[in-house]
Amino acid sequence: MRLISKLVFVLSLITSCGVHAHAVVTHNSLALKPVPVNQASQVELSFNSKVELDLSEIHLVSAGDKMQVIEAVPGDKPGKVLLNLPALMPGEYAIKLKVFAADGHLSEDLLRFFVKQPQ
Amino acid sequence: MEGIADYLDSLIGGIDLTFYSIAIGGLLWGWLILKPWEDETRFNNALLEKTVALIQFGSKALIFTQLSKIGLKIWLMSVTLGKSPFPAFFHTVQFNAGIARAASAAVLFYYVKTALSKHLRSEQRWLTANAILLPLVVSAAWLVHGASRLEDRGLLMSITVIHQIAAAAWVGGIFQLLAIWRLKKRNLVGVELWPVVLKRFSVLGVGAVVVLLLTGTPLAWYYIRTFQGFIGAGYGNLLMVKIMMMGLALGFAWLNRQAVVEFFESRSLYTLTAKVPYYIEAETLVLLTILFTAASLASQPPSMDIPSLTATWQEVLGMFEPRLPRYTSPSHEALLAGEPGRVAIVGQVPSEAATAWSDYNHNISGIFLTTMSFFAMLSYSARFHRWARFWPVGFMLLGVFLFFRSDAETWPLGPIGFWDSTFNNGEVLQHRIATFLVFGLGWMEIKARIAKEPGMLPFVFPLLAAFGGMMLLAHSHVGFEPKTAFLIQVGHTLMGVFSLILACGRWLELKLDAPGKNIAGFISVFALFQIGIVLMFYREPLY
Ligand SMILES: [Cu+2]
Repeated sequence: MRLISKLVFVLSLITSCGVHAHAVVTHNSLALKPVPVNQASQVELSFNSKVELDLSEIHLVSAGDKMQVIEAVPGDKPGKVLLNLPALMPGEYAIKLKVFAADGHLSEDLLRFFVKQPQ
Repeated sequence: MEGIADYLDSLIGGIDLTFYSIAIGGLLWGWLILKPWEDETRFNNALLEKTVALIQFGSKALIFTQLSKIGLKIWLMSVTLGKSPFPAFFHTVQFNAGIARAASAAVLFYYVKTALSKHLRSEQRWLTANAILLPLVVSAAWLVHGASRLEDRGLLMSITVIHQIAAAAWVGGIFQLLAIWRLKKRNLVGVELWPVVLKRFSVLGVGAVVVLLLTGTPLAWYYIRTFQGFIGAGYGNLLMVKIMMMGLALGFAWLNRQAVVEFFESRSLYTLTAKVPYYIEAETLVLLTILFTAASLASQPPSMDIPSLTATWQEVLGMFEPRLPRYTSPSHEALLAGEPGRVAIVGQVPSEAATAWSDYNHNISGIFLTTMSFFAMLSYSARFHRWARFWPVGFMLLGVFLFFRSDAETWPLGPIGFWDSTFNNGEVLQHRIATFLVFGLGWMEIKARIAKEPGMLPFVFPLLAAFGGMMLLAHSHVGFEPKTAFLIQVGHTLMGVFSLILACGRWLELKLDAPGKNIAGFISVFALFQIGIVLMFYREPLY
């Protein structure tokens, strides 16, 4: 997304990159509850709007940007989503979301997190 | 293809609002302003036919844009998700409300075509047509931002819809005025009608502005909440831009109102016929840009939802801080070497070279534009006019510069082929179009300025400038780094506003008589200078 030229003053100026974000994650459990080592776990996300899970795609990204689809199920309230993570080795990971908000906007979001050995 | 789908998806919102306004505003115009049943002689059939034809056109175009919107959404989803969005898509609000809206537009179109246009002076028919608006407006409510909110949904949807109707009354009325002016030029309506419609419209216009403010303020408050959210997030930033453009539109509206007041005192038609129609044309450019910005606003996350991702006002001001432009570029190899780390999701390494490369491009473009604007200013002096009027040559040089610099990873400097990159990457495609247009623009503008009989050619420049401004505002984006993207966006949306001023100024320069002509022209060139300044001091955040 280098947005380079754009500028082109008039005309063009067309800047791009990325998909619109409207449905954004307002809260996630990653900060409060670290993902355990070598053990399947669940992450809870809250969105700012209703989302259509059937039209969304959620990936777990691990070292080397390897993508793996993860299962997402609706939570107990609208806008809440639970993600089922597989057992993970220590390291850096990310959750990459492509989410279709109920008002028709397709949004992408990225949550980075670490899995650490307990001290 | 994802780039193209995303790009079109972001534009269609503005197009949709434009046709919505033409249809709804036209009906309100006929019902509240013309009232053709009251006065048999004042408005002739040519005028009423034109009015209804415009409404018919608006509602027909609305059917097609609404269906295209759904089609684009499906396309966008299948390319982004890499799978068919069916059957899940059939159950979405988006699909159902979209189909309902297209169907209501079709009913409206049918009624206008078969009933209203056959009885142009029937009060009953005008009332029925306005009543048919109701389902159209109601189905639209499920397609606005508020519909997906978890709280206060009904309230937000209703306020937004009223806001849209007020905007439609204004924009639709302006289109009707432009149509009447064209009829007057062809002598199909009498000149005495012009002040009458302008006067009646100014009452409706004031009403529309009051409703816009009364509905816009609580919406802004709801979605933004804090000063930082206004100044430091994409949503607040676009709203600020909308307010600035609204000021511009109100400025033109005020000039028109003054002219009408003056007319009813002096009975001189000069201002009303030699200035007002052109103010209205410029106002149209501004209003259309506002509609595109409004559509773009609806795709931004509200500031209140991303408090941890908003920038401080110091960071925002920092984007505009004067500094020495970057005049050396990192090598092409250094740039490419930093790319994998910059775009990595896990283990991301910000690329100094990418930032420097981008800053160099922006800053050098800024130098091109400020230099050009300097010569353009000189060209208003008789002494320098002869040679300074060739200032648009700068656009051609800029086009060449951008062609080599804008996308380092593609041909001619990088490994990815020309066609491959052009059609598989939305950003590259946009840069290519931009580059081509900048070059073509310079060439055309020189021709337009030296030709004895340039015809319509000189108008291409302001129209493209307005279009460019619209693009800048319609396609502001939020990626994975919302704060970085926002800081980049701030400068770009400001350039969008200046592009619009540039366009309006040049348009009026071409249309008005002296001295208004020269004032408008100078303002236009000054806006170009401002764009140059923004670019010259541009510094991309490191990411
Ligand atoms: Cu830029």
